[in-house]
Amino acid sequence: MIDREELSEREREAVEELLFRLADDEFVIAERYTEWQIYAPTIESDLALANIAQDEFGHARLWYDPLADLGYSEAEYLWERPPGEFRHATICELAFEEGDWADAIVRSYLYDTAERLRLEALVDSSYVPIRDRVGKVIAEESYHREHASNWLDRLASEPAGRARVQNATERLFPHALTLFEPGEHEAEIVESGFRTDSLDDLRTEWLETVVPYLESIGIDVPEPESVERPDATGRDGTHTSDWDDLHESFTATYHELGFAEPTRLRGEP
Amino acid sequence: MSGRSDLDDGVREDGTFSEEPTPCAYTEYREGEGHTELPNTGEGSEGIEARVWETLYGIEDPEMPVSIVDLGLIYDVAVEGTEEGGETHATVTMTLTYTGCPARKMLTDEIREAAASVDGVDSAEIRLVWSPEWSIDLVTERGRESLREFGLSV
Repeated sequence: MIDREELSEREREAVEELLFRLADDEFVIAERYTEWQIYAPTIESDLALANIAQDEFGHARLWYDPLADLGYSEAEYLWERPPGEFRHATICELAFEEGDWADAIVRSYLYDTAERLRLEALVDSSYVPIRDRVGKVIAEESYHREHASNWLDRLASEPAGRARVQNATERLFPHALTLFEPGEHEAEIVESGFRTDSLDDLRTEWLETVVPYLESIGIDVPEPESVERPDATGRDGTHTSDWDDLHESFTATYHELGFAEPTRLRGEP
Repeated sequence: MSGRSDLDDGVREDGTFSEEPTPCAYTEYREGEGHTELPNTGEGSEGIEARVWETLYGIEDPEMPVSIVDLGLIYDVAVEGTEEGGETHATVTMTLTYTGCPARKMLTDEIREAAASVDGVDSAEIRLVWSPEWSIDLVTERGRESLREFGLSV
């Protein structure tokens, strides 16, 4: 077990990479989910997406907290961080196909299945601040997968919906694979036990879960080995142009108001 | 409590709590002094610490009329520097029911300020922890009564 004060320089870099991947994924996908509020096909799904977004924002905050303990301010880890320094996978940032509910559902299914696997690989993390919070996150995630798979079953039960799920799967699958792209410090992350499974193992487990399920509802899943790797994978700081637009819009208020210290506007000392 | 956590944390949609026991990983509890049994209500504490507990009892959850102590949010209160002429510092170790709680800053600020205002306390800080996870098992009998009066079946 390693606590904050005991990190070597190399370990600290690895922990930061791991935390930024986790936090950025959650923050950015939450930003996207909020776009469906009031546009989802049922009131219950409006609420569900709003709630899932709230959960993911909460989890992003939980993963940014240990970065704050390592010395990053909120402005540094979020509002003033250049877009090319975010480390989320591209599946989190892509704009939705306009009006395509299947896009939101397939994305949630692919992402949340990957999230469950990687959280389980953090339960026995050697880094105390990760270990101490992952249980809380896991407990709040199962509903996300339930929501996505209920809708997938429903959409795939008739031809028009199934065609939408098929299209969304083909479009999103290569970007979902970027969830498992290693960063610079991947070897150290596994070696130090910060995550107890390698990304390769997580990718294999993920494929063994999502491929049979999607096939069982009549969807053809692209052959993972022949999928063309997107030009931008997110994990190395390269992103799609959708990210530039999203980054600009979520930081706009911060910049317009000239926040130096956003939380001080609430009248606190 | 806020948001859908109410469901995750054992409250059904009709407002009743499920009876499923949620295991608490007490052995993972690394914060605070020793391994405090939860729920902790400050029973048996003395002096300044007892006064901090008493003050925290007066703070209610932002959404329900129940004391945050009876809700089981406060895991520990520790006051250091009580020796003659020392600067006294109170550390309140606590959790929240839901990670996405929009009242996190509001509530933790309120609790810190309340602790710092206690007679004999010079300064106070909050240590927010997520392990052991909060569950309905951490609500005291008095808390359950408050929730029943509020209309929840617990």
